[in-house]
Amino acid sequence: MAVPRPEAALVDIERTRRQVLSHPLARGLSLTDTREHLAGVPQRRFPITAYAQRGKAPLIQPRGGVPTFEGQQRLTQQLSAAGADFLPLTIDSYTRHNEYETATQLLRRSEEEGRDYLNGYPLVSHGHELTRELYVDIDKPISLRHGTPDARLLAEIAIASGIAEIEGGGICYCLPYSEGFPLDRCLLYWQYVDRLCALHSSAERPIHRESFGPLSATLVPPAIAVTVQVVEALLAAEQGVRSFAVSFGQTGSLIQDLATAKVLRSLTSRYLRDFGFEDVRSYLVYHQWMGQFPHLRERAAALISGSSLVAGAIGADKVVVKTVDEALGVPRPEVNAEAVDTVRYLLDIFACAAPLGSPLVDEEAALIESEAKSVLDAIFRLEGDAFWESVFRAFQMGYLDVPFSPHADNANRLVSMRDAHRSIRIADRGNVPISDADARREKELLAGAAAPAEKTYRQLLRDINMMVA
Amino acid sequence: MSEDGQGRVVIGVIGDDIHVVGNRIMQLALEESGFRVFNLRTRNRPDHFSQAALETNADAVFVSSLNGEGEHWCAGLRDRFVDAGLDKVLLYVGGNIVVGKRAKEEVVALFRGYGFDRVYHQEPDIGVAIGDLIEDLKRGRSAP
Repeated sequence: MAVPRPEAALVDIERTRRQVLSHPLARGLSLTDTREHLAGVPQRRFPITAYAQRGKAPLIQPRGGVPTFEGQQRLTQQLSAAGADFLPLTIDSYTRHNEYETATQLLRRSEEEGRDYLNGYPLVSHGHELTRELYVDIDKPISLRHGTPDARLLAEIAIASGIAEIEGGGICYCLPYSEGFPLDRCLLYWQYVDRLCALHSSAERPIHRESFGPLSATLVPPAIAVTVQVVEALLAAEQGVRSFAVSFGQTGSLIQDLATAKVLRSLTSRYLRDFGFEDVRSYLVYHQWMGQFPHLRERAAALISGSSLVAGAIGADKVVVKTVDEALGVPRPEVNAEAVDTVRYLLDIFACAAPLGSPLVDEEAALIESEAKSVLDAIFRLEGDAFWESVFRAFQMGYLDVPFSPHADNANRLVSMRDAHRSIRIADRGNVPISDADARREKELLAGAAAPAEKTYRQLLRDINMMVA
Repeated sequence: MSEDGQGRVVIGVIGDDIHVVGNRIMQLALEESGFRVFNLRTRNRPDHFSQAALETNADAVFVSSLNGEGEHWCAGLRDRFVDAGLDKVLLYVGGNIVVGKRAKEEVVALFRGYGFDRVYHQEPDIGVAIGDLIEDLKRGRSAP
């Protein structure tokens, strides 16, 4: 048995830290320097304060990153003016893969030619001193959005820049984002990031962590998303993180969204409490449709509107918004700002006093909860000296299996499809240890969804592209 | 039909892009249409495609890019095939192949200039490319 334990916190990261900070792009960054800068950061830049001050509607978080400093500064101001509650710093894909030299070269080319050759802000290339300048007059939390398996240097520079929210995790930033980065190393590197966040935290000013629940955003059964979120909350709590958001992506079924939110919220609190982490504050974040987006802007706008209503109905603490240009690539700043404004408008009008419920939601929630508990309990029972080892083993055994993950260590045995009501069902559980009764129930619910003799690829495509067709 | 069926196709995602969904579905769809597929999966450099085409004696290579890195990586791809004596191999590219919003015709012309035989920028139906491939293989590639 290797269950989560407070004693699992890394005792001393200083030796590793010296190694991480010996990189020339760390530019002499020191613990003292980061501490001093954080001490001067306004209280409203900490997510705990933003969440405490939220009204009836979910808070709004756009995504956004461009290569140049000036571009990022403009984008930040535009998004803030449009009403974003959290401001994004989305990192380019070279930096995510620790290819800082290429990122730096393409940054220079972007600056020289006035065109963007990176799909985000190369934070490591820019460094903490310049990046602090982005936020001199900003009094909202900045959220680091990336997808980095080894985010140790990136997180150091982010926190030193005054960024108090770090998205990611050992599973959620490895399985969907990497093909070959070893999962065990990723889990260990994220222990470092979690510990670093904890070391820079105080009760009133915690560095907040957020997990990325959409995973591959492609037919992920809610029970898998919930399990991964609970596991990452526990891994972070072990390292001393005291402010954590779990999240999930819009499933495509209103009933399933309501049920997933309910189960995710209750299981996260319950397991944190059961393992002695009752002082961790947890929040629920909802991602607007993360799958294939409509190319038609009118339909994209309609989808964003619909997702906004769901965000209110499930009682999300924060919603991560999409733009009408989602299908076309990285959105222009003004389109991004428009999306924030539209979502703000809808959330204010349709705010819900409490999450909506119905007997259908309860029935769906009972199934998701039963499945997630089966998988979590199986993980806790796995042999190992530490909880992270059990988590790693769970992937090796196929207990955790994320559909359409590019990662070589993912089992790819679980097969999921949509039922006639567009809920995601487990057609074949593979090695995922849900009970026989739950597996049977999933198959019953799936009956009648496919036309006879339909090609498998067409059925999967239809399910994946349901928002496009 | 031989064991290679309709023909041999190398597929893969170029650059540091790891968008795998289209890649998985493309493999399934090509296989269901009778092709033998060699899937390089994600995060490939240009050399991976020419080496794989050489090793597998491929008839066609499908390069995809979802995050727009395609423009950066595809510029010299045809030259590598020519250098390896693979001028007859069909080169297709598809996905979301440039960063930002640009006219489709402009993007098609750019990649045709790079030596691609077919360019599918933001084409939602992968059946179109498979239909074109069947037609192109009947005719064979005549290098421009």
